[in-house]
Order: sequence, then C-alpha cells, then structure tokens
Amino acid sequence: MFRTALLRSARSAVRAAPRCQASIARPARAFAQPKQIIPAAYVQAVRSYASSAGLSQDEVQGRIMDLLKNFDKVQDASKLNGESHFHNDLGLDSLDTVEVVMAIEEEFSIEIPDKEADAIHSVKQAVEYILRQPDAH
Amino acid sequence: MALVAYRNLLRSARIAFQGDANVLSAARVEVRKNFESNRHLQTGTEEFQKQIAHAEEVAKFLRENVVQGEATEGDNYKIRIHEHTERGDNEDIKKNKGKTTLGGTKCCSS
Repeated sequence: MFRTALLRSARSAVRAAPRCQASIARPARAFAQPKQIIPAAYVQAVRSYASSAGLSQDEVQGRIMDLLKNFDKVQDASKLNGESHFHNDLGLDSLDTVEVVMAIEEEFSIEIPDKEADAIHSVKQAVEYILRQPDAH
Repeated sequence: MALVAYRNLLRSARIAFQGDANVLSAARVEVRKNFESNRHLQTGTEEFQKQIAHAEEVAKFLRENVVQGEATEGDNYKIRIHEHTERGDNEDIKKNKGKTTLGGTKCCSS
C-alpha cells in the first residue's frame, strides 16, 4: 500500500518535473526570441515571500524611543539614546522592564516569548529583536 | 520567575479587559501594587512560592473566567467570549456535579 503510493507520487513528480523545467526555461527562450510575448502575469507568478515587512532600523529605533519618552518611569530622559540600557541608564527596575517590553509588543503587534523577552534589557537589544521578526509592523 | 508571573498577569489583564482602557490601567496599577508590596520576599521561600502561585491563579482566572459585557438596549448585555474563556460541555457538568466549577478548591484565597 505504502509502496504503491510512493511509486505513484514519484511517478507524478517525474511527470511534473519536465513541465517545471519548461516553465523556468521559457523566459530564457523568450529572451533569445524577442518576438515571443510573455504575459505579464506569468512573470509575477513567481513570488518572493522572503522579504521582511520593510521596517528600517531607524524607524524601529524611533518608535521604541518615542515609547520610552512617554513612559513616566524613565528617570532621566536625557540619557535616552539608541544604546540606552533600561536599568543602568534609564533607572528602570525589572518590573518596569517587563512593562516596557510589553509596550513594545503592543507597538509592533507581536508577542515576544518569555525567554526572548527576558533577554531584552536595552534599546539596542529591542531594536535587534524587532528587526529579526518578519511579522512586526 | 516573578517576572514571568508579572508578565503573565499583564497579558491576562490585556485579554480580559481588552479595549477598556480604564479598567485595564486600573488592573495594571493593582498588579503592580501587589508586586511592590511583596518586593522584600526572598526567592525560594515558602511565602514567595505562595505569592507566585497566587499571581498565577489570578492570571488564569482573569484569562478564563472573566468576560466583558457591554450593555445593549434594555437589560441586555452583549458578552465578549474569547478563545481563552473556559467553556465546559455537558460531560464536564455531569462530572463535577455537586462541586463548584473550581472543583471544590478555594480560588484566590487571600
């Protein structure tokens, strides 16, 4: 039973393969023969899902810093920059840090797992984490 | 550990009081107040464990057993039941016959 299924799928894969190759080869041939017109949709059919949401580092950093600026427990806002450490520079305690990380979650509509959230102690770490998240926006 | 409990509680409050800024901020202040009042507790002591367990219970309760109701016309309320709301089926009800939904344990004892 399993073997027949396997053979069948292998056979269909073999049958599908040349078709696949043909579709890849086609634009190349079209390049050689400029008279042949390729429908535009044909080219668009190959989509790339790998691109990020397009958040730039400056944008992420700016939004996180705005958020911290409005956080009333930040004791010395003048020390706020891209490298600020939540505890050492901004005078936030561990509970405040949890709140800041939660606020960052809300800002970028993501949920940060406990383990990663515990590792975020500075603006720089937060920015780096957000930039690694494809679904942050 | 306490931080995980704190985060868990804030998450639960966010789920339970979604869109209700007044209650949500009140809940956050209350959570913070309770954590501040236990700040002196040493990690690993019995009292510490008890307070953490209490925090986890409150978080669970907020998440599963609190629903928001919005008054509509007359005496009607529109209840917002979400994915985390505890839902029993008929079998559950038969199983716990004679007991409370908490299975006879006292919740959130303080």
